[in-house]
Amino acid sequence: MKLTVDVNICRGHGRCYSLAEGLLTYDEDGYVTPRGQVIDVPADRADDARNAADSCPEGAIDLIDD
Amino acid sequence: MTSPAEEQTEISQRVPSGCPVIHLDASAPLEAGAHWEKANELRETSPAFFNSHAQGYWVFTRYDEVREMYQHPEIFSSESITPWDPDPVYRFVPTQIDPPDHAKYRQLISRWFAPNAVNRITPQAHEIGRRLVADLAPKGECDFVSDFAMRLPTEIFLTIIGVPNSDADLFVPWVEDFFAGFGGDLEQQTAMGAALGGIRGYWEDVLEDRRHDPEPREDDFVSLLVNSTVDDEPLGDALILDILTVLVLAGLDTTRGQLGYLFRHLAENPDDRRRLIAEPELIPTAVEESLRMYTIIFGDGRKVAQDTDFHGCPLSKGDMVYGLVSGANRDPRVYESPDEFIVDRKANNHLGFAGGPHRCLGAHLARRVMQVAVEEWLKVIPDFEVTSEEPLMERGGGAMMTLLNLPLTWEVTS
Repeated sequence: MKLTVDVNICRGHGRCYSLAEGLLTYDEDGYVTPRGQVIDVPADRADDARNAADSCPEGAIDLIDD
Repeated sequence: MTSPAEEQTEISQRVPSGCPVIHLDASAPLEAGAHWEKANELRETSPAFFNSHAQGYWVFTRYDEVREMYQHPEIFSSESITPWDPDPVYRFVPTQIDPPDHAKYRQLISRWFAPNAVNRITPQAHEIGRRLVADLAPKGECDFVSDFAMRLPTEIFLTIIGVPNSDADLFVPWVEDFFAGFGGDLEQQTAMGAALGGIRGYWEDVLEDRRHDPEPREDDFVSLLVNSTVDDEPLGDALILDILTVLVLAGLDTTRGQLGYLFRHLAENPDDRRRLIAEPELIPTAVEESLRMYTIIFGDGRKVAQDTDFHGCPLSKGDMVYGLVSGANRDPRVYESPDEFIVDRKANNHLGFAGGPHRCLGAHLARRVMQVAVEEWLKVIPDFEVTSEEPLMERGGGAMMTLLNLPLTWEVTS
């Protein structure tokens, strides 16, 4: 699975990195990093990635199944 | 028995587009929970209404439409956020500033309330929480919303700003007086004005003090504002005072409101309480669930900036719209078992902190305050109940909702 955060839609709610700690983190302004690039989701973090995507109030996270 | 509110919202006619017309004035206090029931009923009746209250405004009741409203500031301007008052005499910064100027002000402030900043003061937040709980525990009872839920966020807020948290003695009564009048109670208008004067006067003194500093202070928000620029211009006193006052009015009463509903839930649901004691790592998801299910925002207003057809509603420039956040957060099209409090609900994209560019700037701080409250309270007072002869009442949805009282009791252990 791959994950990507749309920089133009993300508003820094912070739901994703609290649910997928380690996979996603945040910058000084509270925005998720990395964003705007495609990252690989390890198999054992797929549930966390789904929770993160489903909890984004902006719908800014896309998941791409392998 | 039908309540006055139900009679008011009976559908009387339709506007030419086919949109049903209601007359709903949500400003009066109601029995606790009545606003969410009303929101559920409206949402399942129609995705859109025209409300003939005040000058008249559109109401959108479901998740997708409310989110769309938030995400399109070019159509839905924040020039007014109160749909019954399209031309307010005040202008809150950055709340009522639209893009692109909005980002300049927002960036100044948002870093101060970002996770790193919140983490910095979290040890102090826990200390404050422990002290407040320790003071209350031997009493065996309290009115949670006034004795704890107002005091905790106020002291933590003052800490993050960089002024003495003991000044909560001043801020708590000011905020109480302000919101007693803000809902429209005419008898409270003088006290409300005096409270606003008190808040502004406090910040004037801090500002005057910081202007005389030889160099900027560390971890001091007013000092940061004094030393910041927007478009290469320093911020004037009036703007700085506006920003500080808005933070007080937006941050303290709201967190108090959310805490009251969360603790009523915990008082009435011992299983959830015990689960959080056994698995404190679930406290953050429980906090999010309370923000979803017990959202204190009945709805949020915007002003239409350009003629638009929005889901079949012909919106004209200058019209007001109202996104029913309480409806969105319990929309069964989005949530499984939307009226059930699920302590470990994972897929929770609630709009309790709004969305789009005006997403609640204090969200990270508010969550942390709520987490601290639950953790520190349950450690000392694991069992407690609501003891009220009368049904609990909540403030009307014209402002932010809150329980007016929450009498809690518990057994005192020596």
